[in-house]
Amino acid sequence: MLKISNLSKTYKKGNIPIPALRNVSLEVKQGEFVSIAGRSGSGKSTLLNLIGGLDTATSGQILFKEKDLTRIKRSELAQHRRFSVGMVFQSFNLIPYRSALDNVALALTFGGAPRQKRKSIAEGLLSQVGLEHRLHHKPSELSGGEAQRVAIARALANNPAVLLADEPTGNLDSLTSEEIVGLIRNLNRDHGLTVLMVTHEQEIAESVSHKVIHLLDGKIVHQDQRGGIA
Amino acid sequence: MKLLDLIELGFDNLRRTKLRTTLTTLGVVIGIGALTSMVSFGTGMQKNITDAFKANDLFTSMFITSKEVNIEQVTEGNFEGIAEAWKRPATPLTDSTLTTIQQIPGVDIAFPEIRFPVKVQIDSHDTRTTLQALPAMMGNKKPFNQLMFGNFFRDDTSKLIVIDWNTLKKMNIFIQDPEHPTKLTLEDSLRGMRTLHPDSIIGKSIKIVSAVLDGSQLAFNPMQFLMNSGRSFFSESITEFKICGIHKKSSAFSDNQFRGGIIAPIKAAQNIPRLGFSNVWELLGSSGKEGTYSSLYLRVKRIEDMKPVRETIEKMRLHVFSISDQLEEIKRGFMIVDSLLGAVGTVALFVAALGIINTMVMSILERTREIGIMKAIGGSENEIRMIFFVEAATIGLIGAFFGLILGWIVTRIANVIANSQFLPKGEPPVDFFYFPLWLIFGAVAFSIVVSLAAGLYPANRAARVDPVKALRHD
Repeated sequence: MLKISNLSKTYKKGNIPIPALRNVSLEVKQGEFVSIAGRSGSGKSTLLNLIGGLDTATSGQILFKEKDLTRIKRSELAQHRRFSVGMVFQSFNLIPYRSALDNVALALTFGGAPRQKRKSIAEGLLSQVGLEHRLHHKPSELSGGEAQRVAIARALANNPAVLLADEPTGNLDSLTSEEIVGLIRNLNRDHGLTVLMVTHEQEIAESVSHKVIHLLDGKIVHQDQRGGIA
Repeated sequence: MKLLDLIELGFDNLRRTKLRTTLTTLGVVIGIGALTSMVSFGTGMQKNITDAFKANDLFTSMFITSKEVNIEQVTEGNFEGIAEAWKRPATPLTDSTLTTIQQIPGVDIAFPEIRFPVKVQIDSHDTRTTLQALPAMMGNKKPFNQLMFGNFFRDDTSKLIVIDWNTLKKMNIFIQDPEHPTKLTLEDSLRGMRTLHPDSIIGKSIKIVSAVLDGSQLAFNPMQFLMNSGRSFFSESITEFKICGIHKKSSAFSDNQFRGGIIAPIKAAQNIPRLGFSNVWELLGSSGKEGTYSSLYLRVKRIEDMKPVRETIEKMRLHVFSISDQLEEIKRGFMIVDSLLGAVGTVALFVAALGIINTMVMSILERTREIGIMKAIGGSENEIRMIFFVEAATIGLIGAFFGLILGWIVTRIANVIANSQFLPKGEPPVDFFYFPLWLIFGAVAFSIVVSLAAGLYPANRAARVDPVKALRHD
């Protein structure tokens, strides 16, 4: 469902070009759990942002369900972010003054869900991630694990084809990390959700993924196939 | 995303920053308040004057002269120019001309314009004023169909007169106005003014002393200046009339210069020995004849009749003067005044617009990360832009609403002050300010447009926020 070929991204700092990705090619199948591992600065997040439609490539191709993300209009890219992918970040990125329920409902608002159904859909999503008792709490009143669950619920709001998780456990202790990774794995295993997860924790990557991609200085150095999809 | 959702999101943000929103909106409130009170003063003046004109049917009135009357020459006191114009040969205004004019379709009423200065005397009270002669028919027409007390005369030959409230006051006779009751001021009492019941005035005998050279009320009579040359060798002649009605008092914007201080039936007035126009004519060496008039007053049925009637009369080689000629000029004058007043108010509104820009740019800087999040979960540039537009428009709308209230309150206060400070005591109160519907809706629309324009830059800036950078933003 996702085919990336010769993808490059170069940032500019002043007049100095800084390459973040160099000729990256990879393929992700429907229902696969793919981890992207590598040191910080290796281009993991850049790759995820390009797939998520938050950023635009310098060259190369990102074919998502036969559509080239590098050639579509910005408004179509917004549609892609809204309906095709769900993103989860290290720093949760919840809107601080909105309750857990309202954070999820906002994604539903952008997705065009009918007003009267938004609340019940959001409640359903939050209970799916085990937060039915924290609906009306603001992010500041939630623990890190709870906040990341809200973010996952929000990412799932518009039934995306792919979940893009950028270091989802980076701000969490090891126990909570395991819970969150478990939750994501369950979504993949039980609901067939395709997952792309950026992580620098080798152990986590190897324990749950079908495939681990190792990035170094913007290049894929190693692809570790750990078994197919059942 | 539906409009309702955008409005909800926009409101959310305004609610969260109550103090800042309130202060920004207050700027708009003051701007709209200033704008509307300024413009309402202009429209108020316009309304007062046009209402006064309408109340006296001045828009459907015209004055016909055989000679060209140059108003500028009169007001500038250019006697030579006037005398020159009056010496030129012209079509005389005779009874037969009058009959022809009366038969022009669209003409409601036409009669010779007769006014002359007189001295009036009731018991020991006297004053100088202008006698105006009118046909009894005018009793059915504005403004003579609404007398304060008594009735308009019904016969052109009867020796009855309608006296103006202000004329009575000049004679130190005060009649209580039932519509606007006022107290006699101390100053007036000391001058010897007496309050009389209208019943004691109606039916009372009044002496009219004519051939008095006084033109104090004759602003409309071009001969006034010629007569002021001071040859006072004329004798007095006394005619007795009875008062049949009292004309209501004039307001600050009223028409007293178009109306005589006393009004007598036309035939009876013609019999009063006087120095009328024809006599003065003789004075200037021209040949005045019996049944010749210096000017005619004409009223058309509808305002649309003005043009055709006027053209017909001009074909008779007569001169026509009407207030409606001046109407375009007057309207242009009001336009200029309104625009000047509006410009002052608009400056205030533009200052408020800068406030909106400032507030929204600040808000965007604070909410960069939030904008990034909204984009990451699928918000398009257009939606983000619209959210900020809704915020700006809301500030504009709320500002306009309270601005109108503020403007209204300010004008009410100003009106009370203006009425107590600038109007002579005892005059009926005048509303100096007027809020027509177009001003109310115009102010709301203008406020929203200005606010949206102010929101243009901030909203575009928000729409262009780079989500990758925004999400890294602290």
